[in-house]
Amino acid sequence: MLSQDQIELIHQEIDGANTPEGSAAFRSLMEHDPEARALAAELRRVAGLFSQAGEREPPPMLKRAILDALPQPARASPRASLRWAAQALRLVTERMEEAIMTKKTVLIGSAAAAIVLIIAGVVSSWPPGSHEAGTIGGVEQAARYHGRAMTEADVSLKNPEIQALFQNDEVLQLVRSEAFRQVMDNQAFRQLVASDAYRQIVASQAYQQLIASQAYQQLLASQAYQQLIASQAYRQMIANQAFRDMAASQAYQQVMASQAYQQVAASQAYQQLMASQAFRNLQANQAYQQVMASQAYQQLMASQAYQQLMASQAYQQLMASQAFQQLMASQAFRNLEANQAYQQMMAGQAYRQIVASQAFRTLQASETFRSLAQNQALSQAFMREAMRTQN
Amino acid sequence: MHVLARGNPFGAGAADRADAPTNLCPSELYLKETAAADEQDRALVRRYLEGQRDAAGGLVDRYQKRLFNVALRMLDNAQDAEDVTQTVFLNAFLKLRTYDPRYRFFSWVYRMTVNESLNVLKRRRRIVTVEDEPDIQAPGAAPDRAAEVEDRVGKALMCLKPDDRAVVVLRHFVAFSYEEIADVLEIPVRTVKSRLFTARERLRLALSEGVR
Repeated sequence: MLSQDQIELIHQEIDGANTPEGSAAFRSLMEHDPEARALAAELRRVAGLFSQAGEREPPPMLKRAILDALPQPARASPRASLRWAAQALRLVTERMEEAIMTKKTVLIGSAAAAIVLIIAGVVSSWPPGSHEAGTIGGVEQAARYHGRAMTEADVSLKNPEIQALFQNDEVLQLVRSEAFRQVMDNQAFRQLVASDAYRQIVASQAYQQLIASQAYQQLLASQAYQQLIASQAYRQMIANQAFRDMAASQAYQQVMASQAYQQVAASQAYQQLMASQAFRNLQANQAYQQVMASQAYQQLMASQAYQQLMASQAYQQLMASQAFQQLMASQAFRNLEANQAYQQMMAGQAYRQIVASQAFRTLQASETFRSLAQNQALSQAFMREAMRTQN
Repeated sequence: MHVLARGNPFGAGAADRADAPTNLCPSELYLKETAAADEQDRALVRRYLEGQRDAAGGLVDRYQKRLFNVALRMLDNAQDAEDVTQTVFLNAFLKLRTYDPRYRFFSWVYRMTVNESLNVLKRRRRIVTVEDEPDIQAPGAAPDRAAEVEDRVGKALMCLKPDDRAVVVLRHFVAFSYEEIADVLEIPVRTVKSRLFTARERLRLALSEGVR
């Protein structure tokens, strides 16, 4: 029977970590103890297996994705700082008003994105892949979830959280509504769920972190947020063709994706945003100008709900969170915004009816919804039961 | 400090060590090369903080492959490994101002990679309620030897506890010494040894039995 010290000696020899004296003791042990020889041989086989495994190349776009998402260097060189300061000083006065307006626009874009994320959180596993039971087929699950299919038991009504949801009259009203059915059957919705951009978003770590964050959940549950998305002005805004054109425009996406935007809470970064070429392009964009001049936009800006939302701690924490910034800066998110199916769904009446409904707000504010948004199995169970309830 | 004798194909500073002078004893050579690699890291960090964005590319070039492979071995999923690598770099650059250059950059980013991978595993446990036990097949002929090895290594690692797996990954795939692993994981050297030896014993038994 080998002692603990002898076993350690063998492990250390395999790791090349023995002192010369330790190696000599190891060699002596090998000469005299067959059990030690057998153990050493087996441990070498384990180590040998690992040494046979090659190193994999990272995805070719990884470096680009990292560098694209990087914030500006934390401190500029003295020469660059002087250049920036002179430029900022020149621009700051004349652009003050524009800056305020632009910030609001960007934040509206963020709020619109948050709504999509709500839906994504609920239906991230819906419709199911063709290998699973489901009413709507033809759309594969996100690739990263392959091999993690839930059993029937996981998606049954026995789940108390799902049971509780469907005992709620408002939730029942929502899933039985024509608007809900229309969204589920909507071709644009199905295309959206099947799109790479959507899958990448839902599968991304930033998204998972975001929906799990306290700030995000507080925001969704806040009265101001719910009033805002239920407001006529907001619904008009997201249905507005000019708004959709702007959101899809390259200039807008450049601004949203710019490094400066990611530090929008910091005034220095914000000034860089103002001075950027992307910002100038946005200002010159016709869709942008139409949005700025639209009545819906003005009403939205003036609404109490909007102002409360902007001032809320939860909203500000969310905007400042790393997960949110990573998500907004990601190529997948930009692709999603530019996705035609996404835009069609956002503009669809059925979708707008859902997000504006009292039932949906009840659902959003519920504890169970938070579980749904974070748990694929629950999400799937909810959607299946919703479809069953409709039939 | 004990120094690992085996070569490090993709560990920290491996590329820099390759061209180092050879008239030194192994431990002196190792320390010299490591110090040079640390200095290169520090120089890149300094340049980045001074506003030179190309320095970020330099740091990504030096570490993206290593960190991706650590995450891959921890998670056995390339997509998750890609996410982790990206998150680690973004976090690193965001926190670079608070990074203390007296400490080694590579320890810092490896630590973040392991921690982020452990976070992913925790989230994965929350999301996936039913998961198949990993199969560990006994050695045997296979049409694609490399794929078979890859498969067996992945499954073998996934049968370990995440904390033990981290030690095995840093030892066998990054070729870190016990002391370096202790530094990265912020645990005592004796804990490194205990975890590593326990993990290898478990792998030895699993592989010899070829059990599920």
